Amino acid sequence: MSVYELLSEYGSRYVLALLTTWELTFFAAIISFVIGIVVTVMRVSPIKPLRAVSELYVQIFRNIPGASLLILLVYALPYLDVVLSYFACVLIAASLIPSAFCSEYLMAGINTIDPGQIEAARSLGMTFSQIIRKVVIPQALRFSVLPLTNLLVAIMLTTALASQVPLNPTDLTGIVSHINTHAVGGITAFMISAFLYCMTALVIGFAGNLIDRKVRLMR
Amino acid sequence: MIEIKKLNKYYGDHHVLKDIDLSVDKGEVVVIIGPSGSGKSTLCRTVNRLETIDSGEILIEGEPLPEDGKDLAAIRSKIGMVFQSFNLFAHKTILENVTLAPVEVLHKSHAEAKEEAMRLLKRVGVDSQADKYPIQLSGGQQQRVAIARSLAMNPKVMLFDEPTSALDPEMINEVLDVMTELADDGMTMMIVTHEMNFAKQVSDRVVFMDDGRILEINTPEKFFSEPGTDRARDFLESIKN
Repeated sequence: MSVYELLSEYGSRYVLALLTTWELTFFAAIISFVIGIVVTVMRVSPIKPLRAVSELYVQIFRNIPGASLLILLVYALPYLDVVLSYFACVLIAASLIPSAFCSEYLMAGINTIDPGQIEAARSLGMTFSQIIRKVVIPQALRFSVLPLTNLLVAIMLTTALASQVPLNPTDLTGIVSHINTHAVGGITAFMISAFLYCMTALVIGFAGNLIDRKVRLMR
Repeated sequence: MIEIKKLNKYYGDHHVLKDIDLSVDKGEVVVIIGPSGSGKSTLCRTVNRLETIDSGEILIEGEPLPEDGKDLAAIRSKIGMVFQSFNLFAHKTILENVTLAPVEVLHKSHAEAKEEAMRLLKRVGVDSQADKYPIQLSGGQQQRVAIARSLAMNPKVMLFDEPTSALDPEMINEVLDVMTELADDGMTMMIVTHEMNFAKQVSDRVVFMDDGRILEINTPEKFFSEPGTDRARDFLESIKN
């Protein structure tokens, strides 16, 4: 089938698929950034058990393949009487793994902060949580804009896990399987999805650069 | 104001502070001098517990220094500290650097904190730079902002840890002038410095340290004209030229 034929027959499905991919990416990004920040605060906290647990968390989710995690969520959790929707399973898998990477990037950002600033904040009577909120996190985020932008693109690509479970509407990768089981879309069906992934990634990259230029700290 | 009793500190096997006894009275300016590695900076940093101690006691206004947590933060908010490398918050403007702690720690309103900050920035002569970021200022200006940032907490005592050591020579005096004014206003100060003329002018007492020990505590007149120990005499001799 030609691009024209594919689009005229499946155009609206592609739009729905793109929206599903965006939706998964959007929520996975928020969840993974929130978890990433929480885990990072735990990793720099003065409380040893918190540090140990958070390090373990990062090691686990940095090293587990997305497909394995998805299989665990879909097939293993029901044995614990936890049955989640397919959408939720994909969302969790596409959130937990990037959250570990998010924490790694934030830690790298924190390591660029001069420890003297932390000492100054302590000498002014600021508490650990005030120092984290007002001095450490704002600067770590500024230094992490570009890596976090890349992470956002990676999150979008990770949501392709959705193609492995029955979703309706399905995502950009799922739609290709759908077309190729119902018609002969061939490589062209893939190309359309790839194009939409690329465009989204370009927009994310552009926005990331814009933000980085705005908040970057001169040193 | 500050009482240090039988203080000892080790870095591993290295005994960096040995049986330190020192007190600083209200309104007094105590200058600590000595060769590099004598422990004077470390001593200064133990007073607000940026360095922990292994034995001995530190009393602030008669109360022992808390180990950590909120009590320690509360004491620290009353002890100003100025560092060798300024340590301004890089992501905050000059004004925000000065207002951050009063708003967060003392729970002042933004308006009140800003008014006070502008008054202090004016006092140290950098009010025209209020909206710039630290990197845009010279070292001398940054250090004066750091002093204003400490003063904004209305501290009872100020610690200065080699405040001019990282500055270009032409900027040293602008910082020393601010410190001299502070001393004249009756601020209680503990100053680690290599600026001997400044020490001579502003100090009430000079503390000479070497190898982790206080060797001599004297009036500046006496110390600089007839030091009581050979070690102090050698030190003064060595920095004369």
